[in-house]
Amino acid sequence: MSFVSFVVNAFYLNQKPVQHTVDQFAQVIRKARARKQPLRIRGGGTKDFYGGELTGDVLDTKTYSGIVEYEPTELVITARAGTPIAEIEAAMRERGQMLGFEPPHFGDSSTLGGCIAAGLSGPRRPHAGSARDLVLGVRMLDGKGSDLRFGGQVMKNVAGYDVSRLMVGSMGTLGMLLEVSMKALPIPASETTLCRENSPGEAIELMNDFAGKPLPITATCYVENRLYIRLSGAEPAVRAALGKLGGEEVRDGRAFWKQVRDHQLDFFRADQVLWRISLKSTSPPLPLPGTQLLEWNGALRWLDSDAEASVIRDAATRLGGHATLFRARNKSAGVFHPLGPALLKLHRRLKGTFDPDGILNRGRMYSEF
Amino acid sequence: MNAPLSSLRRPLPDGFLAALQTRCGAAVTTTQATLDHHGKDESWHGTAAPDVVVYPQSTQDVSDIVRLCASHCVPVIAFGAGTSLEGHVLAIQGGVCMDMTRMNRVCAIHVEDLDVTVEAGVTRKQLNRELHTSGLFFPIDPGADATLAGMAATRASGTNAVRYGTMRENVLGLTAVLADASIVTTGGRARKSSAGYDLTRLLVGSEGTLGIITELTVKLYPQPEAIAAAVCAFPSVDAAVRTVIQTIQIGVPIARCELLDALTIAAVNRHSKLSLREAPMLFCEFHGTKAGVAEQSKMVQDIAREHGGMDFEWATLQEERSRLWQARHDAYPACLQLRPGSRAVATDVCVPISRLAECIAATNEDIARASMPIALFGHVGDGNFHLVILVDPENSADLEEGQAVNTRVVMRALEMNGTCTGEHGIGFGKMDFLEMELGSALPAMRAIKRALDPQNILNPGKVVLPDEPCRMA
Repeated sequence: MSFVSFVVNAFYLNQKPVQHTVDQFAQVIRKARARKQPLRIRGGGTKDFYGGELTGDVLDTKTYSGIVEYEPTELVITARAGTPIAEIEAAMRERGQMLGFEPPHFGDSSTLGGCIAAGLSGPRRPHAGSARDLVLGVRMLDGKGSDLRFGGQVMKNVAGYDVSRLMVGSMGTLGMLLEVSMKALPIPASETTLCRENSPGEAIELMNDFAGKPLPITATCYVENRLYIRLSGAEPAVRAALGKLGGEEVRDGRAFWKQVRDHQLDFFRADQVLWRISLKSTSPPLPLPGTQLLEWNGALRWLDSDAEASVIRDAATRLGGHATLFRARNKSAGVFHPLGPALLKLHRRLKGTFDPDGILNRGRMYSEF
Repeated sequence: MNAPLSSLRRPLPDGFLAALQTRCGAAVTTTQATLDHHGKDESWHGTAAPDVVVYPQSTQDVSDIVRLCASHCVPVIAFGAGTSLEGHVLAIQGGVCMDMTRMNRVCAIHVEDLDVTVEAGVTRKQLNRELHTSGLFFPIDPGADATLAGMAATRASGTNAVRYGTMRENVLGLTAVLADASIVTTGGRARKSSAGYDLTRLLVGSEGTLGIITELTVKLYPQPEAIAAAVCAFPSVDAAVRTVIQTIQIGVPIARCELLDALTIAAVNRHSKLSLREAPMLFCEFHGTKAGVAEQSKMVQDIAREHGGMDFEWATLQEERSRLWQARHDAYPACLQLRPGSRAVATDVCVPISRLAECIAATNEDIARASMPIALFGHVGDGNFHLVILVDPENSADLEEGQAVNTRVVMRALEMNGTCTGEHGIGFGKMDFLEMELGSALPAMRAIKRALDPQNILNPGKVVLPDEPCRMA
């Protein structure tokens, strides 16, 4: 198989592309390493906009796709990295289960590998766990083409370093994910969404107040002066909480949360400069120019703003958080919050351990590696 | 299985002790009793005392001590409560034991943010005492009253893990000193790990081999509106296990669900002065709203009945509940008393939930054949259970048999796609098993160790062995 045919396979978007073996992928990586030629790991390409520069020939993971093992009674699902996330969710829905971190799709062709490598989680994250919390194990190829497995399919595992979690959010800079095992959670029996009008300050206070109470809240979002709260669980528990919280019930709550998850609300636009700011949830409204959408009880703030990167990063740093330039044409300010010297050294060492020649997703996370 | 502990020691280089004393003064001790105390944990492994014990009071102290150790290529081992179960804290190559217990301040409780920042040496009970009036609690509860940094370093869990997760899910960020004495802060109070690689998760569970945790921020949870605890006796261990599996599979959000076999119950009765029926038992606890707790407990009671379980006996008063769970936490020391003078070889396998019944049934056959008492109990809700194999530490045939049972149980778990350790960790007692379990991934873990600790000074000889000996920087 030539390198070109391998890459070209990627273009058959709507039919399952010809599948490749792990060995074939390993060979591509080894060959690229020998030539010091960068590779760009890519699934559905729905997150091409996210992260730093895209360098190198595409290493297409869609040609490694399919659910490997799913036994609902096990509460674990294992799938290949190139499997569309929609396919995984459909299989789980049929058995009354879901991925608890409610992964954002950003498009129909989002893959499991992309979701895990980006490490992004959706509205349910503070309540059911993040992508990293729910990953139990991974199989991957490192930058030397070695086939490695970390973690497994059991709920608890303390056998050695937690490398499977290190892969989550590493943007493909440490290796190409092959398979991921994740915890499955039951779909709640009933779900409803409430909406109320509040000022930003009130909304932050309310979300945090509710979070400290034993209420079955599974998502919060504040946008355009309205606070949306999702309640999930057994019917009586949801009903009881409805009474306690007050507010109007939203007619199509499911559609709303899908729009929040996939950035389809009017707040999100393809041409905006969008910042993703992580703060402690009780931080006051950020005094920055632009408009904001809040999630995760106030711990996640989306900011649509043309303000200088340094102004935004300083504001986040002052509050003990950090800011990611999530979507922008000009990324010269760097996408991810800059690392201090000690942390940067540590990152370089880890990168060097897994990808000594720096061929995988070079510059996708930090320009330094 | 293990090399004689004394053969691996490196002598302290000239001038090192004097330099340490100059920096740390009275916080340095070489009293033999103190050294011996710091050379063992709660496992059957022998004693390997450090050459010196030092009590840092700040992250800066830790960094200075590590710098000194690095410049002299001296091993440095972080020590919390000393309650590990696989020889994690043994100074098998000698060196400095850094006792973290004087760093025991609760730095800041953030009630509204549901988190708390503590110094390394704060213990889990101390933390919960300080949280008492806040309406919040910290759920991770290994049997011992371990230190939070020790729990983070070993990725500990406990009876609440089935509902609240383990240290892995509950450490938000930490401050650690690396092998080159640099101080790093990972993650933070923002509820998403910090920018870059997830170093928090890498350090959590690294057993002091990649860095020394000096401070950490952990999640807190609101005290549930209602709590109910119950015990339920079963005709067989298998019936109890099947009850748990079904409970988990239908998604009942049970908070605690612990299995104790009849022998463990006998030990617990004697140790904690209880009068439980000496039969296989489940200890269950339900958290939630009043209505939720009632619904959950009814569901589990119904499942238990299907499997021949008896009626729940409720512990409704808080004192009764505390007594019950303290008894469960004391199961390990209670079992040790079944055979006075014995030490325990503890197994810690975790298997996929669907294989749990089969795994425990086969293990019970091993127990029936063994010449020594073996108690079985565990957190069956997440597929994890323990054997406490009571061996006479002076009797080599006994030790050998105990190890053979341990090996058999581990091999069985690995065949079932499980792990050799669900919560105790590798230490130096399970390094051979780790090799079997990881296979081709072991060199990658070695490479991480080498990259972060090129001189191999941080808790050397644990988790993974480097492929080259210590060299001067």
